[in-house]
Amino acid sequence: MSLLTETARVLLNGLQTGAIYVLLAMGLSIILGTLKFVNFAHGALYLLGLYAGILISQSTDFSQGQLAEYGLGTLGLDWGFLAALLLVPFIVFVLGIAMERFVARPFYDRPDTDQILFTFGLAIVVQQVVRILFGGNSVNFTQPGWASGAVALPLVGGFPQWRLWVIGITTLLVAIVYALIEFTDFGLVVRAGTQDAEMVQLLGIRITRPYIAVFGIGAALAGVAGVVGGPLSVVNPTVGTDILVPAFITVVIGGLGSVRGAVVGGLLLGITESFLIQWSLVIPSLGIDYGFAPWSQVGIYAIAAIILLVRPQGLFGSEVDVS
Amino acid sequence: MYAERRGCIHVSDESANPADTTETATTVDTADAADTTETEADGGETLGGASGASTVASLQARWESARDRELTVIGLTIVGVSLFPYLFARAPVVSDLLQGYQELASLMLVWGIFAIGFDILLGRTGLLSFGHAALWGTGAYAAGWASANITTFPLLLVAIGVTTAVVLSVVLGWLSLRRGGIYFAILTLAFAQMIYYMASAPLSFITGGDNGLTGVEIGSLLGVFDLGTELPSVAGTLLGTWRYAFIGAFLVVSVAAIYRILNSPYGIVFRAIRENEQRAEFVGFNVWRYKLAAFVLSGTFAGLAGALFTIHGEYVPLSSLYWQTSGEVVIMTVLGGVGSLLGPLFGAGIYLWVEYIVSGGYPFDWIAPYWLLVLGSVFVTVVVLFPEGIWGLIGDLRTRVATRLEER
Repeated sequence: MSLLTETARVLLNGLQTGAIYVLLAMGLSIILGTLKFVNFAHGALYLLGLYAGILISQSTDFSQGQLAEYGLGTLGLDWGFLAALLLVPFIVFVLGIAMERFVARPFYDRPDTDQILFTFGLAIVVQQVVRILFGGNSVNFTQPGWASGAVALPLVGGFPQWRLWVIGITTLLVAIVYALIEFTDFGLVVRAGTQDAEMVQLLGIRITRPYIAVFGIGAALAGVAGVVGGPLSVVNPTVGTDILVPAFITVVIGGLGSVRGAVVGGLLLGITESFLIQWSLVIPSLGIDYGFAPWSQVGIYAIAAIILLVRPQGLFGSEVDVS
Repeated sequence: MYAERRGCIHVSDESANPADTTETATTVDTADAADTTETEADGGETLGGASGASTVASLQARWESARDRELTVIGLTIVGVSLFPYLFARAPVVSDLLQGYQELASLMLVWGIFAIGFDILLGRTGLLSFGHAALWGTGAYAAGWASANITTFPLLLVAIGVTTAVVLSVVLGWLSLRRGGIYFAILTLAFAQMIYYMASAPLSFITGGDNGLTGVEIGSLLGVFDLGTELPSVAGTLLGTWRYAFIGAFLVVSVAAIYRILNSPYGIVFRAIRENEQRAEFVGFNVWRYKLAAFVLSGTFAGLAGALFTIHGEYVPLSSLYWQTSGEVVIMTVLGGVGSLLGPLFGAGIYLWVEYIVSGGYPFDWIAPYWLLVLGSVFVTVVVLFPEGIWGLIGDLRTRVATRLEER
């Protein structure tokens, strides 16, 4: 493989891995930035989106869960992947709104520590409920028929088609969220609220409703991440808590509250990861042939550490904003 | 931050108080009828005459003055540690009720040390770390690796584990404390995960990767007492094995050390930082350095507990570095009661009891798969309703009983 081909492949794989991080981090980041609410249960929303997607798109054998004891071992609507992709965002949006009302709102005035503790506990509860209902074993989320298989790309060669779709869907959603925040009245209120919520309220703008919407949108993005990312990874009840950590890292790298930061941070992590998986140090004269694949997960944290040492507020974070 | 917590507690106090005042306003008889059961559960002495009440009051006053003294705390810890395995694993009725066994009792103490050390950071300084698995796991791995390669003496293994954890906690603390608040939680989490992934693949030639660290070999204490054997005579009945005595001694030392630190002028600065960081800064304290000190102190106890965990289980699982472990110690501490010296100890005991006994289908068979759901729900309830944890609840109960006694 030529160097060019290899680079293109690393970039594409990195974009795809990063896309999932971007989707999660964008939601986390806007919730953190506007509502100042630390949501350790964001991974639980991803998990719920994932399982909702599986239930809508296919019929799955959940024989290890408690539902199987009630004769519901095989479960699912089998409406196809597209239905899942369209319905899940709405379902998780509603969940997000409910979460804002019943989980976040009582905790706005409590310290960060309490918010983290509460949402962390909630994440455990959600994970356990999913595990008890559907079983703790891994299930298979089938790729949509219309997007499975590989396509031939110039330079790269054969590339799994679904991965390209993931990149495409994420790009579209990023564009929509960015436009929403930057170019609409809604976005104006949200941005102003990020800077000084009290002032916005003094100007006679009801800030609660846009805030609820922000929470819903953030949740919906996590749900979409579950649906598009599910077919590419192992699916079991622990994925929600597992993916939370890289998502938080992305937010911290990009800077709290910044959509641009979430995108850049996510892609940076994704590309680092795919680069380390691909790269091996070969020096024939010394007999060295060391693959860096085992370091791929370590790498993203190392990147995070370096960025935070050099620029503690994150790439696109503002110095003042952080308390 | 702390003021708000306080606010919550006041609210709960006030909601309790009106009931009390109405009871005193009405005749004593009705009040009696309402809470005889409660006082009787506390011990029936109060039902005696006026002279009885005065002795009770004087005893109570003496107890109040002695309660928080260092000797009382340490003495009670020693008594508790000595009686606990007997009550938990061997006493006729209690152990049947609790389904306890010796090894679980030792494990509870190990996690107890971890949790009371963690509380220096969370309860006293107000910093929530989600990365203590790294310190506990590193302590455990260091002790395990040393036992296979350097020495098998338990005391030396503990020293090695603690030293490694201290060094690591200086580095982690220095990196994570660059930013406050939520950044601290996320950064500790991130660096701990980095260490987990390092142990899982690139460094698997040391750590054993997914299989965990096997080949741990623990020698006898001081070259004489095998940790697995039972203590002689009465001590054997009470404490059980040398291993328990070894761990128990470290618990007592930890409680004594933490008591000393937290009540020293140095430790009081931790509390000042929790209550108002800015004010502590203005008074002239180098807040950052105190925070680092609190982090390293809690890391020391995490490393100690980790090393004891290796000595206890003679095996180090990879999951001891995973962030679930950090979450566990957070749950234990909050459940038991943040900001209290002994609360986290109870939290650890309850967590492990649920994890090992309830998950085995006790007291009801059907409850087995729900054990973590139960713990999670209880944890959420505690965070929302009882920020002071179970220890705080006991304290509330105690003060309520005390005020009732005074009213008589």
